[in-house]
Amino acid sequence: MVVGVSHRTAPLALRERLAIGRDHLPAMLQRLRAEAGLAEAMLLSTCNRVEVYGRGDDGVDAQALDWFTAVAGGPARDEVVASVYRLIGAAAIRHAFRVAASLESMVIGEPQILGQVKEAYQVAEEAGTLGSTLNALRNRSLAAAKRARSETGIGKNAVSVSYVAVELARKIFGELKDKNVLLVGAGKMSELAARHLVRSGARATVLGGRTIGKAEDLAAALGGRAAAFETLREEMAVADIVISGTAAAGTVIRRDDVLSARNAKRGRHKRPLFLIDIAVPRDIEPTVRQMEGVFLYDLDDLKSVAEANLRLRMREAAAAEALVDAEVGEFLEWQKSLDVVPLLVELRRRGEEIRRAEIEKARARLGALTPEQEQALEAATTAIVNKMLHGPTVQLKELARDGHPPELIGLIRRLLGL
Amino acid sequence: MSAQGYLLLTLAFYAVGVLHVLFHATTRRRLLSSWTVTATLAGFAFHTAGLSQRWTEAGHFPSVGLHDGVSLLAWTIVLAFLATYIRTRLEALGLAVYPVAFGLMLIANLTAPSEAVDPILKSLFLPIHTTLAFCGYAALFVAFAMGLAYLVQERELKSRSPHTFYYLIPSLEACDTISGRSVMVGFGFLTLAIVTGLLWSHSARGRYWTGDAKEWSAVAAWIIYVALILARRRTGWGGRRAALLGIAGFAVVVFTFTWVALFPGVADAAR
Repeated sequence: MVVGVSHRTAPLALRERLAIGRDHLPAMLQRLRAEAGLAEAMLLSTCNRVEVYGRGDDGVDAQALDWFTAVAGGPARDEVVASVYRLIGAAAIRHAFRVAASLESMVIGEPQILGQVKEAYQVAEEAGTLGSTLNALRNRSLAAAKRARSETGIGKNAVSVSYVAVELARKIFGELKDKNVLLVGAGKMSELAARHLVRSGARATVLGGRTIGKAEDLAAALGGRAAAFETLREEMAVADIVISGTAAAGTVIRRDDVLSARNAKRGRHKRPLFLIDIAVPRDIEPTVRQMEGVFLYDLDDLKSVAEANLRLRMREAAAAEALVDAEVGEFLEWQKSLDVVPLLVELRRRGEEIRRAEIEKARARLGALTPEQEQALEAATTAIVNKMLHGPTVQLKELARDGHPPELIGLIRRLLGL
Repeated sequence: MSAQGYLLLTLAFYAVGVLHVLFHATTRRRLLSSWTVTATLAGFAFHTAGLSQRWTEAGHFPSVGLHDGVSLLAWTIVLAFLATYIRTRLEALGLAVYPVAFGLMLIANLTAPSEAVDPILKSLFLPIHTTLAFCGYAALFVAFAMGLAYLVQERELKSRSPHTFYYLIPSLEACDTISGRSVMVGFGFLTLAIVTGLLWSHSARGRYWTGDAKEWSAVAAWIIYVALILARRRTGWGGRRAALLGIAGFAVVVFTFTWVALFPGVADAAR
């Protein structure tokens, strides 16, 4: 079963309250198992979902639900009740597969969820709350998620503005190693994009505004250097990528600045120059776009690329859905083969059948019996069958709980002649 | 199997590539990619067998006339593609190579081999000169295709709203680098081909220069490529201009090739 809330059902404020820190997870898992009566349990807590995965006897989902709302508890209780969902059986398994494959994510195909799910299982394993069923679910759902990523395009093409900027830079420069990134203005978003670029091997230079201090801090964080804004033209002459995100009201980088940078070194004008303007209002004069080898993207451009990429992902999502559905189907089939209930029913039916037949035979030999004798015969034979079947029944139930190899059921059937 | 049989098989295998391109362009999915290179490799093997068969049947190096010319050209282009693929794992080049190889093989399958018998074809210069020339054509074709890819990708990036090609074509840098290297290789072959061509002409007719159109156009192409290489030298980045020059140079090369293929060999000028 699965009980939880996600970005689809609960607002961020509530999810924040429910989120469980990595350090608290083992203790929570223990409590969860003890207080909600779960045989196995796993907790997945990310910024977009907080979910309990578990296995137990019938009705355990209701207990888990109560526990979940109680723990979230306090004043938020009513809110939790309104946004929590509860899935059991096949629906829960399907959900687990879809979450791991990032089909349930806010941004379809985002790569973090797979690692988060992996870690959640890991924590549960260390806490000792992972049994055979959840372990099987872990293996199969993670394998399915990896297949979905590698065989369909759900994870391809960036859908966030800063990643789009990096991807565009790659489409222009190929390798970003040793490319010079110039940051004009030390905003949050420029920093994010610059971080991605630096991680790919680019070198950063940060231009400071009135106060150079902020630029120096950012430069240190990026492992680059800081320079005064007055050196804009010189710095631009050696830059490959310029990210501008100042809070200035007017134009910061003019056509003349770009032109002088392009002509500063012989042949420099042939190399591409990637200008990213993420300021509102814009920092870079839009007409530089017409210059040869200059690629200017403003915030809207980056957003529209992200949207186009997202549409592509959506198309790929259908293929991923089909793939995951097929994997879920296989998993359910496999689970069914583990089910011992039909075997037990059959065993009992067979015992009853033999008992009836033997009573008929005995009657034919004994002739008329008094009601007392009749009753004694019934009681004795019933007791024999029950006692004979008691051992196997208990053992089979135990086997089912431990998750036995499916061949075993076939073997037992053959041994019992069923 | 006859040479014709091999060519038909080759055509079939190269068709896989064309189907791949169509599929790729319409759905943007890459289901067939690994198969396509394998199929092309298989086609290339049959093609090689077919060419050696044809060499035996014709009694001279199979590069004379339209039929043999396009077949050999397709072979060298696929060879250049495979060589580039091994070095760079670049599948996108297939977008240009598969249809061209298929088209050339289609022409080869539809035309009859030239039955020209000329003592000049027995010359050792024929295999040497034409092999050099065709290797040059193939490398310059790769340069042309990557130059075209550069221009298309540049347009995609300038447009700020990516379409199919943005995703299919590699980075500007990759287009520029591969195009530049191919030009260097192709230029080397072209230079040697021109030199051996002149020597062949001298040994066959006693004159280095006959003033034939193909000689003029080969030299024109050579000059364009010199300009291109010089333009690249300073920054190591060819950019738009190099891409355009590469396309122009190749257009002249195509003219040279067509002229030679339609008016077989030096035999024409010698008559």
